[in-house]
Amino acid sequence: MNAPSPTPTKKYDLSFARWVYDNIDGGDRMALCMQCGTCSGSCPIGTQMDHGPRKLFMMIRAGMKEAVLTSNTLWNCVSCYNCVVRCPRKVPVAYILHDLATVAVREGYAEARNSDNARFAKAFWWSAAKYGRTDERLVTGKYYFSFGIGEGYKRGMANLPIAMGMIKTKRMHLGMPHKCSNTGELHKILAKAAEIEARDHGKQG
Amino acid sequence: MTDKQPRSRTIMVVGGGIAGITAAVEAAEAGYDVVMVEKSPTLGGRVAQMNRYFPKLCHPTCGLEINYQRIKKSKRISLFTLSTVAAVKGSAGAYTVTVKTEPRFVKTNCTACGDCGQAAESEIADPFNYGMKTVKAAYLPHTMAFPMRYVVAPEVAKTPEGERIKAACKIGAIDLDDQGSSFELEVGAIVWATGWKPYPAENLTAYRWADLPNVITNVEMERLASPDGPTQGRIVRPSDGAVPKKVALIQCAGSRDLNHLAYCSRICCLASMKHAAYVREQVAEAEVDVYYIDLRAHDKLESFMRRLKADPQVRFVKSKPSRVEPGEGGNPTVCGENTLTREVYARAYDLVVLATGMQASVSEDGRLAGSYDDYGFVFTEGETIGAGVASGPLDVSMSVQSATAAACKAIQVVSGVRG
Repeated sequence: MNAPSPTPTKKYDLSFARWVYDNIDGGDRMALCMQCGTCSGSCPIGTQMDHGPRKLFMMIRAGMKEAVLTSNTLWNCVSCYNCVVRCPRKVPVAYILHDLATVAVREGYAEARNSDNARFAKAFWWSAAKYGRTDERLVTGKYYFSFGIGEGYKRGMANLPIAMGMIKTKRMHLGMPHKCSNTGELHKILAKAAEIEARDHGKQG
Repeated sequence: MTDKQPRSRTIMVVGGGIAGITAAVEAAEAGYDVVMVEKSPTLGGRVAQMNRYFPKLCHPTCGLEINYQRIKKSKRISLFTLSTVAAVKGSAGAYTVTVKTEPRFVKTNCTACGDCGQAAESEIADPFNYGMKTVKAAYLPHTMAFPMRYVVAPEVAKTPEGERIKAACKIGAIDLDDQGSSFELEVGAIVWATGWKPYPAENLTAYRWADLPNVITNVEMERLASPDGPTQGRIVRPSDGAVPKKVALIQCAGSRDLNHLAYCSRICCLASMKHAAYVREQVAEAEVDVYYIDLRAHDKLESFMRRLKADPQVRFVKSKPSRVEPGEGGNPTVCGENTLTREVYARAYDLVVLATGMQASVSEDGRLAGSYDDYGFVFTEGETIGAGVASGPLDVSMSVQSATAAACKAIQVVSGVRG
């Protein structure tokens, strides 16, 4: 799985599409897509996606790897699962978008790495993996400062009144970050999961 | 059954729709005795419930009338209405079939004068019109009923109203003591022509058929457009009876959908194009949008599609709508993505018609036919003979062809020539 995806070199090159079918979560079902438009039509923010899932799937088949992995469709999905529930071919649309987003970051596409959702997801995962809990202050801080020190400070200050309000109503605390009871075990579990993913991801059946 | 001769040369046809009627008359005219079993009080089935057939837009009266004449002329066909097959024993050449008959409460001397209907006060939901209107508790199933005999609803048969209905009949054709019956028949072959039922539109929750009055199904559209339907053939919005100016026809409502019917129901594309034609014929200023995934108008049916495509007021939109929402004045708004332009649309309509697919109607009957495919349609193999839509989605002309083939197979079985 961690080998990079192939880049099509000529017209009608199916190498990228086949790689997606074999390596992306739900990719095997994506092969059954009949381009009906239910997913893009069901999407609550379908108008704010450059392509929408249906067109993105056709672009994968057309070998447009670059355009697919730099698309904002991967990042604008809000995981409402309307598309997954309604898809007449039972294509797990949202899973596919999420996994393609991971691929886009891993393969170093600037559009992906710099997207808001990628920054936030990274900060969220850092806290969840380290403490077994998400700490509002650390997640927000890490996310804001991913834009640089100046921008991070500016965004933090802009949200100060909200933070103060949350502290006052005990929705946010000031002490050490909350942790799950045994972070050592958590880290072992996550390491094992990463090992299994590297070994089995994309294997079918 | 390769070496033994069939014990009975009688052919049973289960179902009295266009396929059952065809199989029965074909076998009878070839010289075989036929027993027909029909669940409802009359022959005609789903075809009788249609306004017109595609592609020539003929009225079903034609086809049914001719076939009724053939049945009347034949001395070889025995018909049992209000009857179902309760059990099948034995094998090809020597079946023993248990038939169960529900009471009609009306004897064969009924002249269909209608006096009993006048006397009846209660109303019951009219299955012929898919419950879109009610009928009197003593009723003629429909204007093309065969046999042309009234039915008294079991709800009133044992009540004082039943007595009044009986008293109104001048020729004494009402028999309130009718208990129905159960009997056994020996037959050599069985043709399953049990037909179909519309896929339940309430399962398509995103299309809101259950709670938006101006969202109807294709079979309801047929009744709306029929001269003997609930509106005497005027296509109107159910909510207020207004003439619809903007109509949406949604294809594949249930069909080609793994959450509902995995298969293509085959007839809906043309049925919807026919509906577009109905609307355009009645309402000069009406605009009709047909939402589709693919248009499946094969062979000679393509000319019907071309005719509609030439009409500037009929628009074909390549899109499976994602949902229908209540809009202004309770009118439905159809939402989705146009897959050719990538436009995400939300358009308001006066009337939305869902092209719901065809479902086998026999799946719950104990699987008496023996062999079925994954979707519950009768699978013709070995001793099992399916005809018409019982064997898979077909249009009327293909059902007739399938029924003729089934009659031929049944004749082979009762003649002992099928190895």
